[in-house]
Amino acid sequence: MTMDTTSMNLRLTLFLGIVLLAGCVTRFSLVPPERQTVGDVISVQPGMKWNKLNSHNYQGRVEVWTLDGPVLNTLLFFTGVPDGEPLFTQRTMGSGGQEKPPVFKASMNPVEIQELLEATIARYFQTTLAEGRNLKPVPIAEGKGFRFETRMVGRDEVERDGVFVGTIRNKKLYGAWFQGAKLYYYDRYLPEFDRMVASARLVGEAAAK
Amino acid sequence: MSLTRREFGCGLCGLTALAYAGRLPGQSEPGAAFIAPGYRPATGSDERGIWRQMEREERDLKTSRFVIRDAELNRYVHDIVCRLGKDHCPDLRGYIVRTPYFNASMAPNGMMQVWTGLLLRCNDEAQLSAILGHEMGHYLRQHSIQRFRDVRDKASFSAFLGMGLAVAGAGGAAPLVDLAMVASIYAYSRDQEREADQIGLELMSKAGYSPMAAPEVWGQLIAESKAGTGSRSSDFLFATHPDPEERQGTLRETAAKLDSGTAERAHARYLERLGPIRQRMVGDELALRQYGRSELVFDRLLAQSPDDGLLWYAKGEVCRLRDGPEDAGRARAAYDKAIAAGGAPPETYRSVMMVEMKAGARERAQSAFDTYVKLRPDASDAEILRSLLAQ
Repeated sequence: MTMDTTSMNLRLTLFLGIVLLAGCVTRFSLVPPERQTVGDVISVQPGMKWNKLNSHNYQGRVEVWTLDGPVLNTLLFFTGVPDGEPLFTQRTMGSGGQEKPPVFKASMNPVEIQELLEATIARYFQTTLAEGRNLKPVPIAEGKGFRFETRMVGRDEVERDGVFVGTIRNKKLYGAWFQGAKLYYYDRYLPEFDRMVASARLVGEAAAK
Repeated sequence: MSLTRREFGCGLCGLTALAYAGRLPGQSEPGAAFIAPGYRPATGSDERGIWRQMEREERDLKTSRFVIRDAELNRYVHDIVCRLGKDHCPDLRGYIVRTPYFNASMAPNGMMQVWTGLLLRCNDEAQLSAILGHEMGHYLRQHSIQRFRDVRDKASFSAFLGMGLAVAGAGGAAPLVDLAMVASIYAYSRDQEREADQIGLELMSKAGYSPMAAPEVWGQLIAESKAGTGSRSSDFLFATHPDPEERQGTLRETAAKLDSGTAERAHARYLERLGPIRQRMVGDELALRQYGRSELVFDRLLAQSPDDGLLWYAKGEVCRLRDGPEDAGRARAAYDKAIAAGGAPPETYRSVMMVEMKAGARERAQSAFDTYVKLRPDASDAEILRSLLAQ
């Protein structure tokens, strides 16, 4: 090996190290308690500091926030799921040979969307212990919407509670799903989630008449 | 890469779907000894270490939320195991795991897992005994220990660890694993699979079950795969083993020689004992949203039980959820049969309501809603359904 080659390898190693380090540093972005626009379509007012995940395993029209880390609690914003697309899938899943995920249809009613999220959770979290309940109509972003609670147990056997709120506008699904460990991490931040939902407005293309 | 204890241990659990990968069931090895009843491996042996590992796995499994706790159902499955295993009964412990795929597994220490997807798919007790008997064949001949030693002796211990990692999902909490990868690793043990096939047939025959149930189960798996819906629980078998029909034929031939013609199937008893979890199993199958495969399964079960309201409801749900061009009418027809047959859950009326609403039949939708809330007065979704009707 020549000196030049050694030097080049060293520079390459350093460069890759910096790139990897940068990736680590930017995995989370701080979301200050100021009005935020999510995916150019949902405007909310957080009441505390959140963390936005810049890289995650969810694939779809989603933005992911957390307070204590995604294992403990996660907030998924659905930023306009169009007809024919799944709510989310796993980024790491290959496409070949995989079973097709269930998809959103603009003609779905809230009961069917609850069923869709249940099936999506079953697939994404690889569990048979996932259910939605207490589905209710609620006003959201100055329009009609719906809300239901979720309960699931994942591969780690941790029980997680959650709540989903959503609305269909212009044939797209907009919403948010907050879920966290039933023990402490869900209940503690549920009021914060509810305040954010109450502050939510649809903007951009979501607000178009 | 870290490897959890559960992931490691599950490398030692045979998987039935994989077990069925053997092509030709030959005769069990003449004079080959079964494990003795009450057997315990010698202290300090490699086998003892593996047993300890599996005992730790079993402790985890006992507390898993995915294990079905229904005492009567567990006793029922255990009784079938004992009917097959006879003197080995005290050494065998079955766990029913809520996972919607066709599978069962048996560890060398006598811990058996039966997945609910298997229970749903069996037509009767005899078919279930075919699967359990096959698994017991692996146990009685200590196949997993043999396989462990083979792999270790070939200096491929890392491959064994990989095997454990690949079947981590079989530990009860993780149903969806990379089964294709598992199949490729297990492919070398076809001789053991053939032997387990043969032992299983002999056990079920001696226990008074019809051995013809064994080729039937295999045929059902083939049909599911041919439905072409990407079933991960069966397609991978056919990717690595190209002669499933030939194997089914050989199974049938061998079973016919053992069949007394008067052997038991126990269809009605099987359905009755599964009663407490049948609706859950149907729901878990529907949640996979593999419409073609699920419809095939429900149609097959309906051919056996044409007056089963729950199965007609399940078929209706497949059609409603798929929401294809002809599906609304097919769903409605299935719900009608479910209601006529009896035994359908109250949610049948909620589904009727949704189908009728989309068809614009408001009066019929209202009528179905009224029946739903009458049968389910505490329905938490009544308010939103009412609001949908009012739109």
